[in-house]
Amino acid sequence: MTKKHLKFFIMGLLTLGAFVLLVVLGKVGSYAEQSPQTKELKKGSSSENLVIPLCDGKTQIEIPDARAGEALSPEKAMKVALMMKEAYAKEQAKQTSKWTKRDRLIWEREQKRVIEEGNRLFHDWKAIGGTTGISCDMCHPNASNTHAETYPKFQTQLKRVSTLRDMINWCIENPSKGKPLALDDPKMIALEAYITNQRKGTPLAPGKH
Amino acid sequence: MKKKLLKRKLYLLIVIFILPIFSLLLLHGNPDRYAQASSKFRKNIPQGIPADLWEMLIPEDNPMTEEKVALGKDLYFDKRLSLDNTVSCATCHDPKLAFTDAKRVSEGVRGKTGARNAPTVLNSMFNVEQFWDGRSITLEDQAKQPLINPVEMAMPTHDAVVDKVKKNKDYVERFQKVFGGPVTIDNIAKAIAAFERTQLSGDSPFDRFMAGDKSAISEPAKNGWELFKGKARCLTCHEFNASSPFFTDFKYHNVGVGMKATKNFEELVRKIQGMVQKGTLTEKAIDELALTEGFSELGRFLVTRQPKDLGAFKTSTLRDIELTGPYMHDGSLKTLREVIEFYNKGGEPNPNLDGGIRKLDLTEKEISDLVEYLKTLTGDRVKRLAKGEKL
Amino acid sequence: MLPLKWKKSDEKYKKERAEFFNAIKHLDRRTFLKVAGMAGAVFASKGLIPPHSFQLIDMVHAKTDEKPGFRFAYISDTHLYERKLNERFVRAMMRAVQDVNALDPQPDFVFFGGDLAQLGQAGELELGKQILSEVKAPIRMMVGEHDWFLDMGEKWQQLFGPSQYSFDHKGVHFIVLMSVNEKDFWTERKMTPMERMMTVAGLDNALQSRFEVGKEGQEWLKKDLAKVPKDKPIVVFSHSPLYKYYKPWNFWTEDAEAVQKMLFPYQSVTVIHGHTHQMLTNRIKNIHFHGMLSTAWPWPYPPEGLPKLTVQFDRPDPFDEADGNGNGTVDVYQKGYVDKHYNLWSKNPIKVTKTYLESWGKESIPPAPVFATY
Repeated sequence: MTKKHLKFFIMGLLTLGAFVLLVVLGKVGSYAEQSPQTKELKKGSSSENLVIPLCDGKTQIEIPDARAGEALSPEKAMKVALMMKEAYAKEQAKQTSKWTKRDRLIWEREQKRVIEEGNRLFHDWKAIGGTTGISCDMCHPNASNTHAETYPKFQTQLKRVSTLRDMINWCIENPSKGKPLALDDPKMIALEAYITNQRKGTPLAPGKH
Repeated sequence: MKKKLLKRKLYLLIVIFILPIFSLLLLHGNPDRYAQASSKFRKNIPQGIPADLWEMLIPEDNPMTEEKVALGKDLYFDKRLSLDNTVSCATCHDPKLAFTDAKRVSEGVRGKTGARNAPTVLNSMFNVEQFWDGRSITLEDQAKQPLINPVEMAMPTHDAVVDKVKKNKDYVERFQKVFGGPVTIDNIAKAIAAFERTQLSGDSPFDRFMAGDKSAISEPAKNGWELFKGKARCLTCHEFNASSPFFTDFKYHNVGVGMKATKNFEELVRKIQGMVQKGTLTEKAIDELALTEGFSELGRFLVTRQPKDLGAFKTSTLRDIELTGPYMHDGSLKTLREVIEFYNKGGEPNPNLDGGIRKLDLTEKEISDLVEYLKTLTGDRVKRLAKGEKL
Repeated sequence: MLPLKWKKSDEKYKKERAEFFNAIKHLDRRTFLKVAGMAGAVFASKGLIPPHSFQLIDMVHAKTDEKPGFRFAYISDTHLYERKLNERFVRAMMRAVQDVNALDPQPDFVFFGGDLAQLGQAGELELGKQILSEVKAPIRMMVGEHDWFLDMGEKWQQLFGPSQYSFDHKGVHFIVLMSVNEKDFWTERKMTPMERMMTVAGLDNALQSRFEVGKEGQEWLKKDLAKVPKDKPIVVFSHSPLYKYYKPWNFWTEDAEAVQKMLFPYQSVTVIHGHTHQMLTNRIKNIHFHGMLSTAWPWPYPPEGLPKLTVQFDRPDPFDEADGNGNGTVDVYQKGYVDKHYNLWSKNPIKVTKTYLESWGKESIPPAPVFATY
């Protein structure tokens, strides 16, 4: 064995040793779990963290405790390389979908926004067009007793099988004495989003009284 | 030898297949009541009235037959069932007036008046209970009450009614044929009830509208229907849907009618409670008190004695309402417009006012549209009867 | 022969009809009336006569041979807006006043359970005072959070006096406790008085602090109780329930244990509270808890925390603006504890008796609802 070979051999050993050590300490394992693509970008994760684009031209991975502009140690670099390889392999193993991570973020953001809007309307009698000072939350704190999971059902006030939106309109018209919303009014959708969100996880039970 | 075997096999076949069929037919004996009812009367069930509900509500012990219905009809129009032969069922429930009498309160024998407005017989078989206060459950039971009420047909007892009917040989024969027995008060009531079960109302412009004909009612009436379901809050008590198209929830509500005029409410209530304690509040007593000024205003309370039923009366049907004025249990509102204005102002305040009654803030146009809508609930046949067509 | 398909539905209808008429057959008119009449008498014997304009029979007493010493009426949680905004709550309060005025005999006093105003406005409080001035019997007032947190009780105290006081009546010691204090949550958020009021007025925001009697209140209570002999019956009026029912909606008193501890040594303690707008019953050791109805609107029962002894009222129908609301009376026994009458406006009245609580729910059980909250 030449000196060169020896150098590489020792470096290899060291790397392997470091790797083993880190595995033992659980660090690499957790990197692997953290699979950056499928994990949400943490709130407040800034561009301070090192973000590396992969060679497919679109996927990016974020390295949580590495900073952009910093030099990586060889061990770290090896780990990063492994991460990149894994992330790339994972992407390649998926079918191509037109939905990207960004799309998903948009969906979640919109959902949250509309639910928040519904929350606001639920607590604001003026905003739903009411004229008696009665807001939804006064009788339905946390949307209790709205039972979104039971619609469509025969609504005794409406005397016919109705949807949640029909009943929302009934409440707007009757206790709150406002004008009914169009069934596709963004306000109506927001209210429905908030109310059903409060009942998330409850099994569907249409017709239950 | 083979022929014999074949014959045997043939006989065997007959026994195995045809005999059971025969015996099944025999077991079913009398033709099914439903078959009868459906084939003869079902075709007369008007559009908008569920035929299966109609069939379901025919009592087991009073099946429909043509002869029974004809007998009931004759009894219904027969003034001899009253004390002085001047009043029949048809006097207060006149087919020409949508089976009411256009009077504020009905008039019986010798011009005596009661305290309540005559409800219609049309669709009365679908009522959960009969009368404004639900004091009779079945049509049969209801038919017996006016016969012995002193301000209606004023006969002294049911036996007296039976005796009178028995004097007529034709009736005696017919009762024998229909009921297989003599004239009894129960059979009289059954016959009348059977006739009443053929007096239905549907086939109105609104029924055609609900069946899909969008041109069946006018634009103002369509707006009236929307108001009926929405701003005017009518539908919740005047329930209408495919399963219950009668414009009533059959429940009892105090809207305050008659409350203004009744000054001694508390005293009346105490008197009733006194009668309960003494045991003098009998079925007949209730029937008479219901038509006595003052006590009449207690409404459903007379029957149930529950505090929440004070001054509560049954939600009336709205079918043919154009023809059944004057309105409310005491006939105090003359026109449909007056009725809607009454509700618009929030009824009449009183300690037991139904919590569903409140000011409606309807505009003039909205009130007109509601009236236009209500006019679309008149059945075609009922209209023809009003114009003089024979029943 | 009939086609098979029809036959099946045929059978079903026959069966339904048979059942329907079977039920009716056994209830001919005479029987029906007898039953109805008996029901009326049973009603009366259970003292289930509402404190309504049409008082039918004298109050019949509870199961024990003890007689109630006296009776008071209550009106609570009226949540008034000014009339031009909301007339419904005003009319409802007026109906409650009519009810208590029609009681015969008149109650010893009428107790107001708190939340007179909805947003603590001077106009609302004054309107409330005006309506209460129609009450014939003497009135005792208690403050609720809706009255307090706009101006921290300034107007209330001006109109109605101290927020905490006690009095004796016919051998019973009454304590009116201010139990809707809150630790300051508004200063750090730089809230205006109205913002603070709106926050407190909302049930389901997580911003406001949980109610408490507070250190000062506890001190006051201690001093007040020191004068009371252990065998004297006590009735505590409190707006918040004085136990921990459901935290997210502030159906809660944070220092409930400390307050209860002060009360346990007394022979009979009854807490009558407002705030929850529903029929509510509880017992912790020797303390009986009864909730007062609101005149304005009812609340559903929360998803958890419902005291075992509570029999819910039937789920109110929002079409009926009076359903689930009402007022009531309380019969106070000379030896302590009470019968609590719920004069529910659109339902039959319900009485929760001393016997029910003394037997830990085994005797004198109130009727069950048909549709409970779920």
